[in-house]
Amino acid sequence: MADDMLAALVRPDKVHKRVYTDPAIFDLEMERIFGQAWIYVGHASQVPKPGDYWTTLIGREPVVMVRDRDGAIRVLYNRCPHKGAKLVADGCGHAGPLFRCPYHAWTFALDGRLRGVPFRQGYADTGFSLDDPQFSMRPVARIAERRGFVFCSLAEDGPGLEEYLGGALASIDNFADRAPEGEVEVAGGVMRVMQHSNWKIFFENLNDTGHPQATHESSFAAARRTVREKLGGKTPFQLHIIEGNGEPNSFWESLELRCYDHGHSYMDAIFNAPTDAISLEYRGQLEAAYGVERAQAILSMNRHNTIIYPSCSPHTGFQQLRVIRPISIDRTLVEIFTFRLKGTSDAFFQRTISYTNIVNSPSSTVMVDDVEVYRRCQEGMASDGGDWISQHRMAGHDTPFEGGLLGAGISEVPMRNQFRAWASYMGEAVA
Amino acid sequence: MIADPLLTHAAADYLFREAELLDGRRWEDWDALFAEDGMYWVPLRHDQQDPLNHASLFYEDAILRDVRRRRLEEKHAWSQQPVTRTARIVGNVRIVAQDGEGLRVRSAFQISEWRQGRDQRQLAGHYTHDLVGTAPGEWRIALKRVDLINCDGIQDCYEVFL
Ligand code: FES
Ligand SMILES: [Fe+2]
Repeated sequence: MADDMLAALVRPDKVHKRVYTDPAIFDLEMERIFGQAWIYVGHASQVPKPGDYWTTLIGREPVVMVRDRDGAIRVLYNRCPHKGAKLVADGCGHAGPLFRCPYHAWTFALDGRLRGVPFRQGYADTGFSLDDPQFSMRPVARIAERRGFVFCSLAEDGPGLEEYLGGALASIDNFADRAPEGEVEVAGGVMRVMQHSNWKIFFENLNDTGHPQATHESSFAAARRTVREKLGGKTPFQLHIIEGNGEPNSFWESLELRCYDHGHSYMDAIFNAPTDAISLEYRGQLEAAYGVERAQAILSMNRHNTIIYPSCSPHTGFQQLRVIRPISIDRTLVEIFTFRLKGTSDAFFQRTISYTNIVNSPSSTVMVDDVEVYRRCQEGMASDGGDWISQHRMAGHDTPFEGGLLGAGISEVPMRNQFRAWASYMGEAVA
Repeated sequence: MIADPLLTHAAADYLFREAELLDGRRWEDWDALFAEDGMYWVPLRHDQQDPLNHASLFYEDAILRDVRRRRLEEKHAWSQQPVTRTARIVGNVRIVAQDGEGLRVRSAFQISEWRQGRDQRQLAGHYTHDLVGTAPGEWRIALKRVDLINCDGIQDCYEVFL
């Protein structure tokens, strides 16, 4: 598809349905967006010891993140240079001192360099050489780490991670700053949900303040009935995080949506700072570690979902990270990670786990209606009932600032901002 | 251990009746089988021991079960338009532990789950029921644990109780 045709699919206040339904565009996205952008790969705490590894996808590329013997984190294509076998099984594990291919037992150092090949005599006088990089596992082009969060780019050139993240960087820092010890670790398991819809639909939803009241009516209405009929009007934490979606228009209007270049954005927090015993104990730990003033500054950066386009979405207040992996034009895998703030109590972590179970799990009474409407979008978009997807809400009212755009609470500016990034990736000629 | 065959029969009957309530979407009647502090648990991992410090597919007390069952019948539960239908077979019922206060019953299940316009889904796994009460007529569920064979796999959403 010609680049000028691609550009014509994105308008200031609408996009053409083909961006969600055309497999050829998905292929181009894999190359031009996921082949260039910084993509979240994993957290350093998932590979604590040399030889520990974690596998994932960067676009379509299976990669393995591994802790090298010198303590550095490497990210390599999970592909044996002999016949292409994936070297390690998907998931997490321990490679030992070397990677060893299950097919013909070639071995590789943890930085990917070929170390040994059986039947060496057979390679005499051939084009093979132990030192030729084509016979080693290929490292990804660029890797960068921030507070243990590891990102990779498959492109040699482009902005560095910090410049790329812009104002979204503060969400990552705040995520870790919220730990009294200034560090976080992945804990409590990972959930995986398959959405039957295009990956962009999920990103657009994350800061869509226009949807909770309509989409989530069933769960917040049910929670309110439980509160009324069973709990004498008291709303426990577990139901507060369901019921919050039912806030009235004025609440959503009062929020702020801040968008940054490269498609990132965040929305203000929608749950008030809790004042129960667990939260107060936590605040005390934070104050002891940082002093009252700094602790207050850390807690007052209270962001709901941050969008780190196009690969993940941290929720700093409840220590969640959702990782988005496009599988095909109409399949998106979402992985939900939970983090422990180092220096906090088990009771604090158990509340984090409650949030995961109630809001982000595949059996969430909240998320199930999101996933349903995403699928309805995917099915409806394919129809001839129309060609364009509207993003008109408060279009033309975005306030530009250095490095981004600001929108009022009910604006669709995060979506317009994502497509601003999308168009610039997709418009660039393939290197 | 080899349990009293009549007791095993009573336990199986209890599980079959529970299955019938679930397949019939009789949520309130099903929920009434639980003890006051009874829990419904679907672990995320095989052999998961800890429901508090590790995520689960479901870990629901009376309050969360109450929200779920009400939501399933809400007019604007979009993902229940139309509703989920299930049919399940429960078998291999064995009493694996027993004391004065109650018993533990293990069984295997197959659930077919379907919604109009969606693929039919097959679920399989093992149930573990901790029942409290001294006689079959008084049994209440202290813990219903559902171990799906694919608990740690990639999931489509779950809505109804398994
Ligand atoms: S494919 Fe890896 S050693 Fe042959
Ligand atoms: Fe939602």
